[in-house]
Amino acid sequence: MTPIIKISNLDKYFGLLHVLRDVSLEVQPREVVCIIGRSGSGKSTLLRCINFLEDPSRGIIDVDGINVKIKNGTRREHREAIHDIRLKTGMVFQEFNLFPHMTVLENVIEGPVTVKGINQDEAIALAEETLDSVGLLFKKDEYPNRLSGGQKQRVAIARALAMQPKVMLFDEPTSALDPELIGEVLNVMKKVAKDGMTMLVVTHEMGFAREVADRVLVMADGQIVEDAKPDALFNKPKDPRTKALIDRYRTGAG
Amino acid sequence: MNQTNQTEPGTEKSHVELLHESQLRSARRFRTNVSLSWGFLFLFLVFLFSGQDFLGIKTIQLDFDFIQNNVVFIAGGIWETLRISFLSITLAIILALLAALGRLSKFPPFYALSTFYVSLIRGTPLYLQIFFFFLALPQLGIYLTGLFAGVIALGLNYGAYMSEIFRAGLSSVGRGQREAAFAIGMTPWQTMKRVILPQALRFAIPPIGNDFIAMTKDSALVSATGFVHEVMWRATRVGRAQFNNLEALIMAAIFYWMMTIMLTYVQSIIETRLSKGDR
Repeated sequence: MTPIIKISNLDKYFGLLHVLRDVSLEVQPREVVCIIGRSGSGKSTLLRCINFLEDPSRGIIDVDGINVKIKNGTRREHREAIHDIRLKTGMVFQEFNLFPHMTVLENVIEGPVTVKGINQDEAIALAEETLDSVGLLFKKDEYPNRLSGGQKQRVAIARALAMQPKVMLFDEPTSALDPELIGEVLNVMKKVAKDGMTMLVVTHEMGFAREVADRVLVMADGQIVEDAKPDALFNKPKDPRTKALIDRYRTGAG
Repeated sequence: MNQTNQTEPGTEKSHVELLHESQLRSARRFRTNVSLSWGFLFLFLVFLFSGQDFLGIKTIQLDFDFIQNNVVFIAGGIWETLRISFLSITLAIILALLAALGRLSKFPPFYALSTFYVSLIRGTPLYLQIFFFFLALPQLGIYLTGLFAGVIALGLNYGAYMSEIFRAGLSSVGRGQREAAFAIGMTPWQTMKRVILPQALRFAIPPIGNDFIAMTKDSALVSATGFVHEVMWRATRVGRAQFNNLEALIMAAIFYWMMTIMLTYVQSIIETRLSKGDR
């Protein structure tokens, strides 16, 4: 099978700080991959390099056949390919980042109408369908500030899905939520996974990783230190850093 | 808890309510007293210019014939005053936005151009700027009408001051908004137009209103060119000609004041409507 995401020898520097060290990764279509690791391990940066919210310093990013080779930071010549990659990837942020001046429905049709040029009526039909799938059709005319954190995040997921991406990137989607609101977001994510979406999820939710992920990656010091099926990883961690991470969450939860 | 309510309905609630009501009442009383005081001050002003002898106090005698003969002429300048102000604020908004974008730009020439413009304009008097466009440019063969010179000077001047408003508005939009727009594939231009600007404008509209009101008054300076027949020009013209500057300027002051009160009212309506939007 050809991988839908292929990252080769990715390096990222913030100034002198070397945050991603020669990272390579392949993700198959329909695969759900969770990335765990301590903060500062580079997991969010890795995710954000895939759709170029961060400029990779060096390496190759390939998403569904769109290939971008970076030798020394991104340049003008990469602009079109980056745009194409962004059309193929949806992203969900920790802080939701809904557009506060637009209603829920307007948030969801914004991409299809402005970016893809789909006509308004079609976009609305699509958006309503997507909102229904996250259970928030009844909130379509509200402004984001009237929603709970969990609802905001579900709208953000709908906004990303409405672009009909090939891959969904989740950047700690539940970290900004009150504990009692995490469940509803995870349930929506499970549903998205079940519908066959390829997902890359940076998360601290070990339960979710264990239950939903096909593979779990552990990052530490800008590298992927372990890459395994969740059962193997959680039961028999090979790397001491993985073990430390899992133990820490266990004690934290207990 | 329900039982207490049954025996004495609403006792707990009414405690809070009473407190709230007494606060409302004292706020209302305060507003009423302020209104009464305003009325008193206004009547006092009217009395001061009434020309009557009151308990041996001689008040100021105005020439009411002059007022009657010239009120329409001076009021006729209101339209011109508003026209200059609208044209100038439009120019100012465009310049302020460009200057703010320059100020936030990471491209040195843009940044320099913006800060240079703001520094130059804020470092020189508005009065000088108006004369510069009207009197100095003809020496270079550029002839501007009084109106045009005034609008350019006012627009440039207010644009420089207002750039700070737009800069604050643009900076108030978080980085996450830009990232979310980029993530769904928006170009930088689409992001600016659809996501950043609408939010920045919402932030900037109340202060723009303030500046517009200030501008209607500063537009009086344009009368110095002698060719723009707005309120101030008309007042000084008839006032000087007939040596009735007192009456003429009082009339002009009343007109400016009325315009300001009305514009402030319009502004407050716009602000309440905006605050309903997404806050």
